[in-house]
Formats: sequence, structure tokens, C-alpha cells
Amino acid sequence: MVNGDTRREYLRVSPQVPITAVPDSASLPANDEYRPQAPFLDELFELDGTPRATAAALVEQLRRLGPAGLVEAGRRRDAIFMQQGITFETGNVGEASHERPFPLDLVPRVLSGQEWRDIKRGLAQRIRALNHFVDDVYHAREIVREGLVPWRLVVSCSHFARAVHGIRPPGGVYTHVAGCDLVRHSDGTWKVIEDNVRIPSGISYVLENRAAMARLVPELFASYRVRPVDHYPQLLLRALRSVAPSAESEATVVVWTPGPANPAYFEHAFLARQMGVELVEASDLVVRDDVLYMRTTRGLERAHAVYRRLDDDFVDPLEFRSDSLLGVPGLVRAYRAGSVAIANAFGTGVADDKAIYCFVPDMIRFYLGEEPILENVKTYLLSEPEVLEHVLERLDQLVVKPTGESGGRGVMIGPHADEAEIARMRAVISAHPERWIAQDVVRLSTVPTVGEGGVLAPRHVDLRPFAVFGERIDIVPGGLTRVALEDGSLIVNSSRGGGSKDTWVLEDGDTADRAGPPIADTQPPALPDLRYGAWTGQQQQQQQDQ
Amino acid sequence: MLARIAHELYWLGRNLARAEFTARAVEAVFQAELQGTSDKPGVSFGSGGLLAMFGDVDESPRSRQALGQLTLDAERPGSMLASIERAREGARTVRDVISAEMWEAINTTTLGLRGGGQPGWTAPAGPYLASQYVKERTALIWGVANRSMLRDEAKCFLDAGGLIEISDMVLRMLRVAMPPGDASPGDGQALILLQAVGGFHAYLRAVTAPPNAHPVARFLLFERAYPDSVAACVDSLNEVFTMADAGPRNSKPVLRVSRLAADLDFQRRALPDGAELSEICEQTQQELARIDQDVAERYFAGAAAAGLRR
Repeated sequence: MVNGDTRREYLRVSPQVPITAVPDSASLPANDEYRPQAPFLDELFELDGTPRATAAALVEQLRRLGPAGLVEAGRRRDAIFMQQGITFETGNVGEASHERPFPLDLVPRVLSGQEWRDIKRGLAQRIRALNHFVDDVYHAREIVREGLVPWRLVVSCSHFARAVHGIRPPGGVYTHVAGCDLVRHSDGTWKVIEDNVRIPSGISYVLENRAAMARLVPELFASYRVRPVDHYPQLLLRALRSVAPSAESEATVVVWTPGPANPAYFEHAFLARQMGVELVEASDLVVRDDVLYMRTTRGLERAHAVYRRLDDDFVDPLEFRSDSLLGVPGLVRAYRAGSVAIANAFGTGVADDKAIYCFVPDMIRFYLGEEPILENVKTYLLSEPEVLEHVLERLDQLVVKPTGESGGRGVMIGPHADEAEIARMRAVISAHPERWIAQDVVRLSTVPTVGEGGVLAPRHVDLRPFAVFGERIDIVPGGLTRVALEDGSLIVNSSRGGGSKDTWVLEDGDTADRAGPPIADTQPPALPDLRYGAWTGQQQQQQQDQ
Repeated sequence: MLARIAHELYWLGRNLARAEFTARAVEAVFQAELQGTSDKPGVSFGSGGLLAMFGDVDESPRSRQALGQLTLDAERPGSMLASIERAREGARTVRDVISAEMWEAINTTTLGLRGGGQPGWTAPAGPYLASQYVKERTALIWGVANRSMLRDEAKCFLDAGGLIEISDMVLRMLRVAMPPGDASPGDGQALILLQAVGGFHAYLRAVTAPPNAHPVARFLLFERAYPDSVAACVDSLNEVFTMADAGPRNSKPVLRVSRLAADLDFQRRALPDGAELSEICEQTQQELARIDQDVAERYFAGAAAAGLRR
């Protein structure tokens, strides 16, 4: 897939990107020094330094603002974020952590309406397939019987949950909230690099970034109509209500946080506040007779739907890790009894395992009978001896990732690693090849980013759109653009020195996707699990017999 | 609302009120000690008394050190900084309940106090300047709370915490400044007590007598028209608990508070002018402690059982 002669590849592809009226480059002194770095694709500039059509007005505004204006806006941004407590804790466990303002870069990323619609269609397709997969893994295992996904790979996933076998949540929805990470290759295509269907985080920064941008650099918005993002909490609330098993008119929805010490606590509180629901911790929840309640000042009150923000491992000490102090004993029983909806469902981690990732295109073909709209990055499963051998030889050209981790932990980027690191990695992989995958290095696209002294420099970015799956799939326009702030760095995780950007999806009058993509399932809508109902029926029968 | 959240709000209120009244007391003592100690017998309230209020008995309190300990010493749980830090920690936990403006006010206050506070606070007048700052900021926080928070259960528990802390602080101060056994305390520094709660002006308008020990103590205990007096706080406590409770007629804390309110009113009328007040102060303080326990049992039972910190 990756062509050795990248220069030629770039030249071959670039004419496809339309070039329309571009201001005379001589009138852009502030950006004179800005040069996109070949072979990477720059999203605002052509390779020769002229702005792309969609970005021309933005570049012009940035020029007017100048380095001094950007530095000044950056100072105001830090002050506002500190004051509002929109911060990020740094420092390792045991060290004194200190808070620093969340690093928002002031140059937005611009996506055209058409580009976004393609991404959105591709994501909706992918998420539907992942949802089918979770359902299948814990029920009929059809995809395994077809021989498409090896069962041994599924059960070896660290997030495979035996405890939820046979449970089908209301509406058959497992992956209520999904955030797939996308990257843009140097040929302009979008690829999925990772699926997150457990507890993807970052949506609060999408909303806060937009609010901050409008406050700090309103002039950048002058020539654009940017699609709003602030309806996400309402989408989420609607989705959670739609799956809540409540006979009452209004279901009680709660957000469950592990506590203020969690790095994403800000987001948990933010979502609870925006949705107008309670933010609960484990100590607030109690299960009585397979029904989940929360402790209030007026006694116990029932909770119908839980948006949980902690991992499966910790949710119920009776079914998962018994040493968890963050869990609620009996929760899985309540979930199995169907008295409470959990978002995302337990056991969804099996679908975002990095080894399972390789099979997602097959899943799309198998479950939906469609061709994948978004491609995967070329990935090598190391359990095959030949593949392993091939990969070990080329470690310096590949990225290797542990299968069960997230947040950029344990990732080694071959071309950036030294001899010793590669040798160590080779030993680690050889010991447990099934715990690792290797991927081709993706040439992440770049976007101009404010650096030292307000000067723009190209930095690598990825994109995490957030999808909400209730009665249908809704995706907020854009998503979280993460940017590697170091020159040449490909690691965008905020825990490892990454920042973020506001992502603009431009309004172009096309409202085709506003109602959300149609979910034309080939299967009839999934029914709640009947096993439990059948069991009670049997019990009644026995009682009548007595 | 969630028991844990109510618990956090209650303690947020307590910590804010504690910081505010510490600041007021530090400011009053600082000013009084600048003018040299009065040799008059009677009410005594200096930096030693101030520390005693927080349960510290220092043999030889050196004034500046004592005041410094009560302002920016993060190690001492009684200092303003520690109270504000605890308030911020609590506010962070209930961020989705309090208004964004209120969180910002609390957060900014904490940031302003951290790391030795602002330039210039290292001067001898440091404690005074820090107290001024805390006084102003807490006034702002309460103002924002009153203007931006919904008058619901959450506000009730926040207010309840503040009220119970204010009455407790006033009672502690009275007990330290006017120890029992002193049958006829002189006039002494009764003025400083009024300044320490910020009630001098109100006193002058409400009471025609000069600020002598007895009328001042009666004023701080019984004057229901003055919002920071013990009686007024207990009245307001009764109101907020009645509002927050699902069944106030059958609720231990509500019943106890209303009995205390009636009791204070009765004693105000029954006690002769020169009567000793230290016993009433002690009883009232004990009763408040029992109310605190009842509140924890009735409203926060779930949270307390889970072993949450105070």
C-alpha cells in the first residue's frame, strides 16, 4: 500500500484536489515561511505553499492576526482555561501532579461538507458492523462459524467478558458511544487507525474548544459557516433514554464516574451537567433485588440507564475483578435481568481490540453485505509464524502496538526508535507475539499549528469523531482533532504531549445527512433477550402445578 | 438529590464559612494588636485566643507567627488556605450541581492563595492582606451562589453548611473570649469581637448601649435581626431543613433545630441583662454538634456508610 517513491505518489494524486482562486502568494508575508513538509499532505496548504480553496479566507484572517495576535490570543486562552479549571493533570503516579491548561491550538482544521459526509457514512457503517460483532460474539458466533474470525483470537482478547454471554440489551445496541480514530494518508484518503467502543473520551474538549475559539479568535469565523457541535449532550441523552427500560414517562439517566481522581473527570462532570443528570460514583449506587438504585437524601431512587465511564474490569466485584473498590456489587445481575441499561454495554471491548481491528472490513462485508467505505491501515497479526518473521525483520519500518492497551501506551514507532529499543521490542514480541500487532507507518496529514513566537509550522494530526447510537446513529460534525505539538512527532495523545484543534465542518446547504444515516438493517430489530422471560414463565407454570 | 452530593455541598458551605470567619477574625486581631494590648480586664481576644478557637493551645504564641499559621499555611487544617483548598476540592466534585460562575469564583480564589499568595503578602501586613482578599472573595462566592443557584435542595444543603459553621464559629469565639467563672467581665475588647464577625455597624444600629462585653455577647447570641448571630443562623437553619426535608414534621434534625430556635428565643427574653452566658454558649454548641450528627444520619447516611471523608 505504501509506495516507496512517495514524491511521485504525491504528485500523482495532488491534481485531484481542486485548486480555485488563490490569492496572490506575494500578499501573504506572514505565511511566507510556512512550507508544508513533503511527503505529508497539508490540509490548509498546497505543497507549493498556496492555501487550498476552502482555507483561503482562513489563511487571510490568520495573516491579518499575525504572530503577535496569535501569541496574545494564546495568553488569553491559558488564562481562561485556568480560571475555568479546564486543565489537564500531568506527572506520573506518585509524583506531585500539576495542572496545566488543556493545549488548544488556535488554527482550526477545516473539512468540507462533502468530505465530512463521506467520513460520516463510513463511520456509521463501521459502527453498525462493530455492534453486530459484539452481539454475535456473545450469542450465535456466526462469524466464527463462517471461519472469518478465529475464536481463539476472540477469547484471548483482554476485554472479552464471559459474564455477559447471552445478554442482549434493549434495542440490541451495545456500542452507544463510539469514537473511531481516523487519519488522513498522504494520498488524501481517510483511514481508520483504531476503534474505541469502550469509553472513548474527548467530546468535552470538542465543545469547549469551539466555545473558546469563538471567544478568542472570532475573526477566524468571519467568512465561514461552521456546523455547530453543541447538541452532542442532547443526542447522548436521547440515545440513553431510548434504551432505558422504564415504564415511567421519563427514565432516570446517570453518568457514572470513577471519581475526581480520574484524568477525564472534567468530561464526566461536563456531560452530566450538560445533560442535566446526576453524576454518580460507586458509593451512590446500590443493587437491591436485581434493580439498580441510587442513594439520595430522600432514600433510594431507581436509575434506569447508566452512562458508565469506567472499564468492565471494575464495574462489579462479583463478576469481574473482585478487588475493585469502584464497582457496584450485583450490577451485572441487574443488567442481565434487564432492569437497567448500561452504555456502553459490558463486553464491548472485544470489538475494539487491536487484533480484532484487522477483521472489521470483513465484518462489514459479512454483517451488512456492503463494501467498507473507510479503509484500515495495513496491519500484521503476529500470531502467524511467517508474518511474525517478516515483521521482526522490518521492525524499524513499522509501528508496533500492544493489542489490549489504549491511550498510546506501549506503542513503538520503528523509524523513530533507536537500535536498543528495537532490539528490546524484538525480544518482547517474540515472547508473546499474540499480544502485539504491527502496522505500516501512516504518513499523517499536517495542519499549520502555532509554535514558538506565534509562527505557524506543520504538525501531524488525527481525528476522533464521536458517534451516538440509540434509535439511530448520530455523529457530531467534526470531532476531536488531536495534534502532535513536537516537530516531526506522530504521537498525538494528550497524555504524551499532544494538543487539540477545533475541527470545522463547513455548511454547504446539503441537509441530506441531518436526520442521521438511515439504519437499514438486513436483520429485523433485535428483541430483548427472551431467556429471562421464558424462565419466569416456567417458574409460574411450576407454581401453578403446586 | 444524591446523598453524597448533599454531603459535599454541606461541607462546601462549612469550609467557605470557616475560611470567611477565620479571615474576619485574623483581620480584627491584627488591627487590635497593632494598637497595643489593652490592659483592661475582661474580654481578651488576641492571637492566642484565635488559635484556641481552632483547638490549638500554644504556650507562647507569637502574634505574627500565629496569624501567619491561620492564613497561608497549607499544613495547618485550620488555615484559610486549607479551608479554601478543601472547598475547591468539594466544589470540583459537585461541579455539575453548582453554577459554573460559582465554581470559577472558588477556583480563582484558590489559585490566588496558593504558593504564598500574591506579591506583597510576605510583608508584615501579609496576614491582613490575605484576610482582606479571602473576605472579599468569599463575599463574592456567596453573592454569586445566591444569584446564580437554583433555590432547590442543593442550595439548602450549601446554606445549611454555611449557617451551622457560622454559628459554631461565633460560639467558639464567645467561649474563648469570655471564659466561665468571670462573674463580672469588664468592658475590655468587646469591640474586637464585633469586628471579628463584621457586626460593629449592625450593633450600633440595633443596640443603644456602648460595645461592652455583655450587650455584645447578647447581641451575637440572640439578635435575630442580625444575620450572623447564633439565633438568626439557627432560624435560617430551620427554614432550609424544612424546605429540603421530604417529611419535616417527622425529621429529627428539623425538630431539633426548631427546638433550639425556640430555646434561644426563650432565653433571650427570660435572662436578666447581666446574666452569665457561657453556659448557654456551651449548651448551644453541643446542641449544634448533635444537629450535625442528625443531619449526617438522616440525609447523608449512604455517603457516611461508604466511608467518605469529611
